[in-house]
Amino acid sequence: MKLNIDGLLVHFPYDYIYPEQYSYMLELKRTLDAKGHGVLEMPSGTGKTISLLSLIVAYQRAYPLEVTKLIYCSRTVPEIEKVVEELRKLLEFIVKETGEQSSFLALALSSRKNLCVHPEVSSLRFGKEVDGKCHSLTASYIRAQRHTNPSMSSCRFYEEFDAVGRQVPLPAGVYNLDDLKAFGRRKGWCPYYLARYSILHANIVVYSYHYLLDPKIADLVSKELAKKSVVVFDEAHNIDNVCIDSMSVNITRRTLDRTQANVETLQNTIQKIKETDAARLKEEYRRLVEGLKEANVARETDVYLSNPVLPDEILQEAVPGSIRTAEHFVGFLKRFLEYLKARLRVQHMVQESPPQFLKDVFDKVCIDRKPLRFCAERLRSLLRTLEIADIADFSAVTLISHFATLVSTYSKGFTIIIEPFEDRTPTIANPVLHFSCMDSSIAIKPVFERFQSVIITSGTLSPLDIYPRILDFRPVTVASFTMTLARTCLCPLIVGRGNDQVAISSKFETREDFAVIRNYGNLLLELSGVVPDGIVAFFTSYQYMENIVASWYEQGILENVQRNKLIFIETQDAAETSMALEKYQEACENGRGAILLSVARGKVSEGIDFVHHFGRAVIMFGVPYVYTQSRILKARLEYLRDQFQIRENDFLTFDAMRHAAQCVGRVIRGKTDYGLMVFADKRYARADKRGKLPRWIQEHLSDSSLNLTIDEALQLARHFLRDMAQPFRREDQLGLSLLTLDQLQSEEMLKRIAQIAHQV
Amino acid sequence: MISYITRDIVHKRDHRCNSAITVSPTMDLRCATVLPHPIQAALTPVGMASSEEVLLVVKRVRQKKQDGTLYLMAERVAWGPEGKDRFSVSHPYSDIRCQKISPDGKAKVQLQLVLHTGDSTTFHFASEGAQRDRDAAKDLLQQLLPRFKRRANKELEEKNRMLQEDPVLFQLYKDLVVSQVISAEEFWANRLSLNAADHAPSNSKQEVGISAAFLADVRPQTDGCNGLRYNLTSDLIESIFRTYPAVKQKYAENVPHNLTEKDFWTRFFQSHYFHRDRISTGSQDLFSECAKQDERGLKSLVVQGVKNPLVDLQSMEDKTLDEGYGVSSGPSTSQGSRSVKESSNAAIIKRFNHHSAMVLAAGLRRHDVLNDQASETSSTDGNSRDSDFFQPPVKKVKLQEAIDYEDLQRDNGKKTVALKLKKSDRYSHGPIPVQSQQYATSQDIINSLNCIRHEMAAYKPSLTQVLSSSTASTAIAALSPGGVLMQGGTQQAINQLVPGELQAELKHLYTAAGELLRHFWTCFPVNTPFLEDKVVKMRSNLERFQGTKLRPFQDKVHRQYFSTNLTAHLEEMLQTAYNKFHGWQTRRMMRKT
Repeated sequence: MKLNIDGLLVHFPYDYIYPEQYSYMLELKRTLDAKGHGVLEMPSGTGKTISLLSLIVAYQRAYPLEVTKLIYCSRTVPEIEKVVEELRKLLEFIVKETGEQSSFLALALSSRKNLCVHPEVSSLRFGKEVDGKCHSLTASYIRAQRHTNPSMSSCRFYEEFDAVGRQVPLPAGVYNLDDLKAFGRRKGWCPYYLARYSILHANIVVYSYHYLLDPKIADLVSKELAKKSVVVFDEAHNIDNVCIDSMSVNITRRTLDRTQANVETLQNTIQKIKETDAARLKEEYRRLVEGLKEANVARETDVYLSNPVLPDEILQEAVPGSIRTAEHFVGFLKRFLEYLKARLRVQHMVQESPPQFLKDVFDKVCIDRKPLRFCAERLRSLLRTLEIADIADFSAVTLISHFATLVSTYSKGFTIIIEPFEDRTPTIANPVLHFSCMDSSIAIKPVFERFQSVIITSGTLSPLDIYPRILDFRPVTVASFTMTLARTCLCPLIVGRGNDQVAISSKFETREDFAVIRNYGNLLLELSGVVPDGIVAFFTSYQYMENIVASWYEQGILENVQRNKLIFIETQDAAETSMALEKYQEACENGRGAILLSVARGKVSEGIDFVHHFGRAVIMFGVPYVYTQSRILKARLEYLRDQFQIRENDFLTFDAMRHAAQCVGRVIRGKTDYGLMVFADKRYARADKRGKLPRWIQEHLSDSSLNLTIDEALQLARHFLRDMAQPFRREDQLGLSLLTLDQLQSEEMLKRIAQIAHQV
Repeated sequence: MISYITRDIVHKRDHRCNSAITVSPTMDLRCATVLPHPIQAALTPVGMASSEEVLLVVKRVRQKKQDGTLYLMAERVAWGPEGKDRFSVSHPYSDIRCQKISPDGKAKVQLQLVLHTGDSTTFHFASEGAQRDRDAAKDLLQQLLPRFKRRANKELEEKNRMLQEDPVLFQLYKDLVVSQVISAEEFWANRLSLNAADHAPSNSKQEVGISAAFLADVRPQTDGCNGLRYNLTSDLIESIFRTYPAVKQKYAENVPHNLTEKDFWTRFFQSHYFHRDRISTGSQDLFSECAKQDERGLKSLVVQGVKNPLVDLQSMEDKTLDEGYGVSSGPSTSQGSRSVKESSNAAIIKRFNHHSAMVLAAGLRRHDVLNDQASETSSTDGNSRDSDFFQPPVKKVKLQEAIDYEDLQRDNGKKTVALKLKKSDRYSHGPIPVQSQQYATSQDIINSLNCIRHEMAAYKPSLTQVLSSSTASTAIAALSPGGVLMQGGTQQAINQLVPGELQAELKHLYTAAGELLRHFWTCFPVNTPFLEDKVVKMRSNLERFQGTKLRPFQDKVHRQYFSTNLTAHLEEMLQTAYNKFHGWQTRRMMRKT
């Protein structure tokens, strides 16, 4: 279908379109026209991705000089691959429609673990191992050594790529991860470096958030991407946490021990080199004196993690004299390490700001702020000079150096918390130093500044106004779209009471209450008898789930549930959970039906969709508040209050509700799907909670279903499911929630569509 | 509908009950297992029937005040009076609904068999060890009856279903069985086997799975004095074995030489294996090994990983933060700091996952075997050595599924089923091997084409031999509908002449006759005594059919003064069968003499 979006010809690879997709594209077009940023919320399963891609690709085709590149960031590997497949579909459609060969190059980029084709390296299981092994085969000095000593092993894929791969650009087309691997195998080129090289001239790049938000990685991968790019953060409801994670560091006693070992190795190596090849160290010293940036020397394969601070904070001057020689620097590291060890020997919790910390460092061990700022940079230079192959082993000392650089660079937005033990186990000494970022705007700031348009979008971004505040940017468009429905295919219910009229809630005071646990059990039991196929239930935390499952087991509730369905439970072990998930799907597939007990904020709630019969009902047991006793959280709340005028409770509720919405949103995908959403907590009925749910859920939450008992909820559920089980044909949807091109062009429809977008 | 079926069963039973079957005095009793007609069966010489195993013989059992011997055989229970070599009572197990015994301590030691019909037969054990004999018979029956009960029900259900689904068959059943032209058994004799073949694959696929809550059904009852009683049924035991093969193995190892069955299950319920939330304490537990085995199985499953890449949580995250980076939100649960309660909770969770997986696997096990074979054959031609080559298809399909919006797409036709060919060459060449010389070469075709073309070019109509126009037109008129030559054309007249009801009746007659004739003709070539009997019987059936069904119909047609002979063809068919039978019989007589 060819659409006219505000004067732009958009190829849309389907024969029908949802009204909200059209509306979404309109808003997106406006944002791009204004060269500004946008926040767009559209329900999951209404074809957000394809709308985005269609419009931006059309825009790129129409104005190739205005928008040169689309950088699409998503969260998980399957998500990335899905986007690329949709893109493939779109570009194939465009080729078919226009008849001309497309010159578009689109590709996915992922870590070495997902792209490596080297037979030995790719068989390693963990990403870190793959990175380390790759580095030990491809680092520039290793390859240089190979000239003198040809018996050293090498990676033929990288060698081949290095020899010829750069001359010929990757032919136009769409490359998913597997396509890149296949291409690499065929040509004998390393797919990972090929992809990293190709993103510079690709029209569309799809990769994960970290490549843009984590300064350590962004500096390596995304530094040279064109400014005239459109950046899209999909599934962005958690983007603030990604930003914060990328700037935070935790140091435990184990880290320090490993650092100690690292420093010793460094010292020995320096000693050895001094005896054999003193010139090399001298050369490094000379370079540092001249303040030469390594950029011209460094090769892409040498660097494992780049400077942890943002590009504009990196000092462009020569390394200070006190840490210029290798021995001095190692001595410096030792002193700093001893200081940290001393700090970890605390008996009580300490919280301080970076300036306080720096002052203390200066007082205790006479370390200045400036050499600390160069710490990360200096260590990298040293590691390279020493030609150490296995950089992965030096992760501990790298971490310490990053901490040093971060703490001395940022005086605001960070906090240092030293805890002698964990809250739950006060008897076991396990001191941790948290260097925690509290301001999510720090990491994302360069992205907003550098790229002309940044689009933040997800199915659940409500309340919309909070994101611009915590990320500190000024969007030109903030819009939420509702879901037009020919039949109400979602049924949110708030169950606030048990049949015995006891209020059910996971709030701290009542969560261990026997009656609450029993009522939760009854709710699950009753629903398992009513709902066909799959049910997913989310708890607020692992611990809570474990306790509840144990008491359900004792009360025999689970045995009764088993009469209706099989039970699978998420565990903390990812492999075990994956297996449980697959079995769960199998059980749904063969008609037995199953229940998956899972945890909000867990891996399942973040990355798995329960479409169609895999999830006919989702139950949210309790409100998934974050663990509020954590000092890091408290510090962050304080910061948010002081800096952004966001009240603690508002933020906590916002955070809980976005996770709840995320959990329940997993069951709906598209308008042919349907699902029951049960919020099992009295507190959901309150306006401040309910108001923070996405608009497309709120709309269907009638006043009568705000405080139901279990029986009442069952009554509604039965009715709903019976309704939904009726055949649902295209004709029922057509003209209401599904449009043909003709219908779309009618005056009246356009007027209606204008109402779908809800501007904030 | 149902009444017919029950009648059917009654028929069968009556015949069997009245039949007296001769037995030879040897222990290996022989009699006809298939009884096409009870009377014939009684006449059948012993040596010609297949053998039936005798499982138990109890002497001095009285029935209706008469002394005799009770035989429990592979498929039926029988009783014969003292001194005679015939059974006067014989019940197939499938006819028996249940057995009842007299309470212990009563003077008369009795066993009563209640039949599905409601009739019952009572045996009185009169020997010295009456109690023991009776118990032996009872125990054996207890094992045998459930097996046959299922079969009988299944058969009945199957017949019922067939009749409901097929109105023609139902009509046939009414025509032939209800009007007693042939017996129900004969009617079903080759129907069922025919259908058994049809339904066999679907039946085997729909194997009943195991209830996930089967262990919940084992509710212990307190016996009042500090003990617990578990009631185990054979179904339950089977469920346990199917779900936990490790327990089955233990059972095979230990029962009966190390432990009695009762002890085994007692230990099972005491074991920590059953109560998974209890932390294992002693290693002398019989089932601790099972637990370990399960653990290993679970681990190997986990290591195997998942096939569907979309649910693989491990490879979900693209770039995990290195250790030490990021905010650790909430309390981390390090392994060392888990309390006993927490680890028992974790054990429960593990147990549920494992249990559900095992239940699911038990239901799918047979399925898996087939799948494995399929995947093996497919892997021989695909290069499955490299897992990378093998993986993408699954992944591709899953990804496509995930991005597909079915309602946005126009229906692209019906979903077609891909043609699955086992031997594609047979499909493309047909079943008959083609001889190469039968092929016309292209040169032949061109030649013949040229030849025809040549002839056509040289064609000259010889106008002198053509009919005159007037004769031609009369001929056309005569041949047109209503013309002289078209009168008496019964072809289109018959459905107008004969009233609908008569037509329907005729149709039924045809199907019935067809069915009988089919039975008749399937007897040829007659090479077994059984077929001999059958062919004789079928002939009499045909005669009976002619007498009771065809004649009245002919009379009726006659009464209504139809000139056309509607039944001529039917009679012809019957006559052919009679002739055949006659020929066969004369030949047989000749051979005998």
